[in-house]
Amino acid sequence: MKMIEANQVYLEYRDGTKALNNVNLQINKGEIVYIIGPSGSGKTSLLKLFMGIEQPTSGKLTVLGKEISKEHKKNIREIRRRIGPVFQEFKLIPGRTAIDNVILGMRVLGMPRLQLNKNALEALEKVGLSHKAFSKVDNLSWGERQRVAIARAVARKPSLILADEPTGNLDVNNALRIMELLRSFKDEDTTVIITTHATHLIENLNEGILLKVNKGTIEQESMGRRL
Amino acid sequence: MKNIIYNTGYFIKEAKTIFKLTFWSNVLSLFSIGLILFILSLVISGWSISTEVLTLIQEEAQINIYTDENLDDINLEKVMEKINSIDGIIETRIVQKEEAYERMEKVLGEDAKVLEYFEDNPFHSFFEAKIDIEKIESIHKELKLISEVRYIRDNREILTRLRSIARAFEILGAFFIAAVGISTVVIISHIIRQGIYNYKEEINTLRLLGASEAFIALPFLMVGLLLTFGGGAIASTLTYMVLIQIYNYLSGPLPFIPLPPFQVMMQDLVLIILSISIVLGIIGSMIGISSSK
Repeated sequence: MKMIEANQVYLEYRDGTKALNNVNLQINKGEIVYIIGPSGSGKTSLLKLFMGIEQPTSGKLTVLGKEISKEHKKNIREIRRRIGPVFQEFKLIPGRTAIDNVILGMRVLGMPRLQLNKNALEALEKVGLSHKAFSKVDNLSWGERQRVAIARAVARKPSLILADEPTGNLDVNNALRIMELLRSFKDEDTTVIITTHATHLIENLNEGILLKVNKGTIEQESMGRRL
Repeated sequence: MKNIIYNTGYFIKEAKTIFKLTFWSNVLSLFSIGLILFILSLVISGWSISTEVLTLIQEEAQINIYTDENLDDINLEKVMEKINSIDGIIETRIVQKEEAYERMEKVLGEDAKVLEYFEDNPFHSFFEAKIDIEKIESIHKELKLISEVRYIRDNREILTRLRSIARAFEILGAFFIAAVGISTVVIISHIIRQGIYNYKEEINTLRLLGASEAFIALPFLMVGLLLTFGGGAIASTLTYMVLIQIYNYLSGPLPFIPLPPFQVMMQDLVLIILSISIVLGIIGSMIGISSSK
């Protein structure tokens, strides 16, 4: 089952910067995809397209069976509701506890109240933070905050997890833990897409798809390569 | 809708957090809105009282018709028949000169002694006619055609003044409703915009998580409603305190002013002010929310 399909997708920002050129790719259900490339190569632009933050300048992009384009903006909310996003800067609500942040991710979906606490505690358990469920996120370390963000993404039971530089603010040990954690969700039949510029974090991995982005182009030789 | 119902508690909690974020600014805004609505409430009560007085006076509209002094009872009856035939005259009665004397005694009170200096009753019989106030002009014309009629006394001047007072309150009321509406909407929309600005990171996160615009907007709408509804409650309390004093004062030295019943007046006022505050809260919040997008 196709989760994402891009055909001749181009993205040009309003200031004229050409972010992505002729992107063609297909990502299927249950796959884990690593998007690598140096800063400014277009990794985040690609993820922004997948989340509907940007729409393609031309070409056709379908995410979770719905087209993302300027003409189909109403699809974007529906797509986002089926995505578990993880951001480099976490995007947690300050002043709230870890469990409140995880619950918020589910609230917007309209999950029944009784399910919220159960799912949130389960997700925090998975990321190894159940003991800090009621700690304010402001008092957690960067690594712990990123794990809360992952718990928020996972608790939503998403079809697709999109993680944009999830290890960007972390030391090597924490970064490896986060990558391993994200990789584990592939086993739950969830498609996981991770962008990173830290290639050393994926050097020893033996499964997944590697997409190399350079100057807005996905290099042909790397596309679909099994690690 | 299900999403909204499931999350009612969350929305209330969020609204409280947003309110607390700029607590003192919000408290001051609450009292400002309260004072604005209080002024509106006073104008509405002034308009209501003057309209009530006007209506009562119009219902009791009466003119006095004076005739030649030497008319006997038979001729007076004939004149009364002519008066009764005029369109707009509801009822006519003769006030005999004895009754006229007694009335003057009452009006003069202690000074009624002056009447004792007259050897004879100085008053003459006259007519009291209840009329349809709308037809006062044509009644006047018709009465002047009756040869025995010498003088007509009416309360047209008072009515005209009352009408202009009521009209002034009406215009003032309309002006104040517009002014109050605009200023409250501006205050509320500004507060909401400020709140949204303070919350922009969180709102952005909610959008990325797929939250609907209603989900994001509801806590802000609640804050807007809290401010205007709270302002309406303050205005209603102040109005109660002021009106009760006015009623006490007017029922003492000026008991003849026909005021509307206090309870009815307050009930109507509270209903109007709270309804206006809710409507303004919704409009202000919606403008604040939509202008922040």
